[in-house]
Amino acid sequence: MIGRARRGSRLGVGESRAAIIALGIAAWVVGMLWIFPVGWTLLTSFKTEQDASAQTLHNGLTFARYSDVSHSTTGTLSLSAAFTNSLVVVVVSTVIVMLLALPAAYALAIHPVPKWRDVLFFFISTKFLPIVASIFPIYVYAEKWNLIGTRTILIVLYIAINLPLAIWMMRSFFVEVPRELIEASEIDGTSLFNQLRSVILPIAAPGIAATALLCVIFAWNEYFYAIQLNFAGASTMPQWVIGNVSTRGNFLAKLSAASIIACLPVVLAGWAAQKRMIRGLSLGAIK
Amino acid sequence: MKVLVGILVMGLIAVASLAATAIGSTKAKTISVAIVANGQMQDIAKLTPSLFTKKSGIKVKYTILDEGKLRQVTTRDVGSGGKAFDVVMIGPYEAPQFGVAGLLKDLMPMAKSDQAYNYNDLIPAVRNALSAKGHLYAAPFYGESSFLMYRKDILATKGVKMPLHPTWQQVAAAARKIKTSSMAGICLRGKPGWGDLGAAFTTVLNTFGGTWWSAKPNGQPDKAQVDQPAFKAALDFYAKLVQDAGEKDAANSSFNECLTQYQAGKVAMWYDATVAAGTLEASDSPVKGKNGYAFAPVNKTKSSGWLWSWALAIPKSSPDPSDAWKYIAFATGKQYLRAAGPLVKGGWASIPPGTRVSTYQIPQYKKAAKAFAAITLAAMKAAPITNPGTTKRPGLPGVQYVGIPQFQDVGNRCTQLFSRVIAGSAKASDALSQCQSIASKAIK
Amino acid sequence: MNTAADVTVRPTAKGQVGDPFSSPWRRRLPLLPALLFMILVTQLPFLVSIYYSLTNLKDKTQSLIPEPTKFVGIENYRAIFNDPFFRQAMWTSVQMTVFAVVLSVFFGTLFAILLDRRFFGQGVIRTLLITPFLLMPVVAALIWKQQMFSSLFGILDKVLNFLGFSSVAFISDHPLASIVTVLVWQWTPFMMLIMLAGLQSQPSDILEAAGVDGATPLGIFRQLTLPHLRRYLELGALLGSIYIVQAFDAIDVMTGGGPGSTNVPYFVYEESIGGGFRYGSASAYAIVVVIFSIIIATLALRLLSGLLKDEERA
Repeated sequence: MIGRARRGSRLGVGESRAAIIALGIAAWVVGMLWIFPVGWTLLTSFKTEQDASAQTLHNGLTFARYSDVSHSTTGTLSLSAAFTNSLVVVVVSTVIVMLLALPAAYALAIHPVPKWRDVLFFFISTKFLPIVASIFPIYVYAEKWNLIGTRTILIVLYIAINLPLAIWMMRSFFVEVPRELIEASEIDGTSLFNQLRSVILPIAAPGIAATALLCVIFAWNEYFYAIQLNFAGASTMPQWVIGNVSTRGNFLAKLSAASIIACLPVVLAGWAAQKRMIRGLSLGAIK
Repeated sequence: MKVLVGILVMGLIAVASLAATAIGSTKAKTISVAIVANGQMQDIAKLTPSLFTKKSGIKVKYTILDEGKLRQVTTRDVGSGGKAFDVVMIGPYEAPQFGVAGLLKDLMPMAKSDQAYNYNDLIPAVRNALSAKGHLYAAPFYGESSFLMYRKDILATKGVKMPLHPTWQQVAAAARKIKTSSMAGICLRGKPGWGDLGAAFTTVLNTFGGTWWSAKPNGQPDKAQVDQPAFKAALDFYAKLVQDAGEKDAANSSFNECLTQYQAGKVAMWYDATVAAGTLEASDSPVKGKNGYAFAPVNKTKSSGWLWSWALAIPKSSPDPSDAWKYIAFATGKQYLRAAGPLVKGGWASIPPGTRVSTYQIPQYKKAAKAFAAITLAAMKAAPITNPGTTKRPGLPGVQYVGIPQFQDVGNRCTQLFSRVIAGSAKASDALSQCQSIASKAIK
Repeated sequence: MNTAADVTVRPTAKGQVGDPFSSPWRRRLPLLPALLFMILVTQLPFLVSIYYSLTNLKDKTQSLIPEPTKFVGIENYRAIFNDPFFRQAMWTSVQMTVFAVVLSVFFGTLFAILLDRRFFGQGVIRTLLITPFLLMPVVAALIWKQQMFSSLFGILDKVLNFLGFSSVAFISDHPLASIVTVLVWQWTPFMMLIMLAGLQSQPSDILEAAGVDGATPLGIFRQLTLPHLRRYLELGALLGSIYIVQAFDAIDVMTGGGPGSTNVPYFVYEESIGGGFRYGSASAYAIVVVIFSIIIATLALRLLSGLLKDEERA
């Protein structure tokens, strides 16, 4: 926040107007190239299957593929079912992650437990076991407890996937809260709840938002657990997208439409929150 | 504080109402079916509500997966006694193995006692492939063999005649003669996977006199035979043919890619599943009426076409076996085939083929499938399932696979190596020696 | 440092922060829910995996005659040392991770520098650039496989032919490069965000002072910005590595495995539910991987300064 508002517009020391314009153009070129695959997919989603397979545009553009993939036959995975499942799983798991991570971060940052470094390492180390390895024991127990094909098993697993990152990030945001403010609030005898509310959260808020967004992104896009544990039951969006890959016949335009639909919520969320993410990260993911 | 209490109360109300609706809706019977993502399967998924649920009151929840994922999921589910599915779709590779291992329900009593089902109408080659020790473990939804499809018109312009029972040498020569810079001579599978490249290649391997493993007298695998000259000859022939006259990016091509290229006129011949003919001769196909069909090419054996069927089985741990059988009787019964003809997208030519003798007597089907029906039936009958090559095979019967559980993994890994040979980025001798060690290790 | 003497003693009511935090259990309490949850959900499967790794557990479908699961001790581990395919998978993992992380950090930094100044449409370009990170990895892999790399449907093929070059079978001939391309495409935006955070957290008064003193932009970048960015680079590389080393979706979708693209997670998958169904052996591979990762991570964290630094808070 230090001089941030002025940063973009001032000429850097020694930079000429021409250099600025050249860099601007370079940024545009880079941006266009980088987004090209997505843009191309978007275009394909409006074509007919014939045009899509041949990369031509003889039959014009249409929304028909979108309605094709949104229709479903009774008994097969529908867009609304997959969307609902994804939404519930992502929201519930992210909320629980934040509810668990906030106090944990408090215990690692504000009044750290002894050995907090080891605790942090433990959390990160849980990400070292490839999830493909733990899938069989998890499957066995999920089967025993009748959790296969439920949202519950995915919620539990997504919490386990995101919690380490959330704790890490939240801890570094909490560490940014100036020591003096903490001490001052404690001398005043504020309750823990108020201390959180008036001192810690306002400073860490962008970081909290950034963390929550990352959890949402990873949970929404998760594919492996979803497809291995949730066939038959509470299938999620990645599964719905893959279902549009047909082994026989042309499917490229439909797949493109399905991809756009599936990715749209998180993309829009990311677009809306990007500034907050940068601010959150700049405030101190680094301590 | 008050806000929190309010939220809590609303939450409780929400949960209570959800629970109430959940209790109410368990009245309707629902079974869970896992099927593969092919056209005919998606057709029946669309037609199930109107043709089955209405009459029987049983709702069907489909899980549609691609072949590879379907196999993993069903193998794991059936093998672990999982209750996720009432009906699973498997093939003649899995059905006898799972059945012998005691993991599937025996369908024979129900099939034989149900007069309307007409067990004897099922094509013997197919139903035997899905049985073991006299028990039927899966009911066929569709059946296929493999044959050669070619563009009659293109071959004619180049003066090439294709006999009805060609040899691989004849086919290779034809492919090399008719290829142009914009059109490949032949499309052969090259994508890694025991059911992709593995299927096509194994039929070639068989007819070249090679085999994956030799067999002990008791049927167990003895030694890996990947290092034998016949195996090398088959791989060299296959790879070279694809490199000389085959499709672009063969290492990524399986059924779907070859179908697309054939329909777009980018390849002139195609060796693959007989079920492709249904799509090629469908009412909306760009190559309708232009195709000739020949039996799977041979070399040292009399026939080499494969035998495959996607069939429905009931795991022993299925939650609702009696409703599961009702569904299977519908999906693999005569009535569905007759009802589906006018209703499915590709017309009569694309109803599930190769399961019942009576299908080939339906007048509309005979008319729509005139070009390929007879040869499909003949190919399935001729598929040399018990003795596909020149030597004895271990395990249960099979043409394009070896009927032992280890073949799936060995086939997958070895075809990954062979696919690189076809792409030209690996040497055949390296691939063969690596595959030999994989195959040897697997049967230890 | 908080000592009991610094704080006036008040009657401890529920939730009051005063004296209580000298008690170690009050400090630990907020940590316990998260800790317990992770232990339950991750350590239990881990322990079960250790158990399986000492047996010859296989799926029941893998033997025609029922084979009882028996204890085999370290047999599975011994087999790992003789397994050239596992070594190949580890090498592929190393290559894939290093290339993907280094390239995405490089491009991420480059893009962050480009975006650090205001220009017409800055917000739009930044929005476009972060989009690949927001996509589902399977969708990203499918897009590159079908729309870009495919010889049948892909646009790159058409462009190459148009320019007079012959077709390239990207995925078949260059599996590792294809996968690294998708990974870099998706992770560069993440690195870019981190580096943007780093660039924007530079105190601008110091930069201006340096400028006034006569330093060139390049000089400022080298002497002031880069050292400041170092911690951000390390964070990006660390976080990126943790996720990229587990890359699975892209391999499953694009190549289905094979030499050059099977990394360790995919290898373990192929050994277990991906076709081998040898759960005992697969668990042994997984345990070996965990041990390796812990060693590497401990070394890495020791090398990376400042990431866990916290002088005032011991």
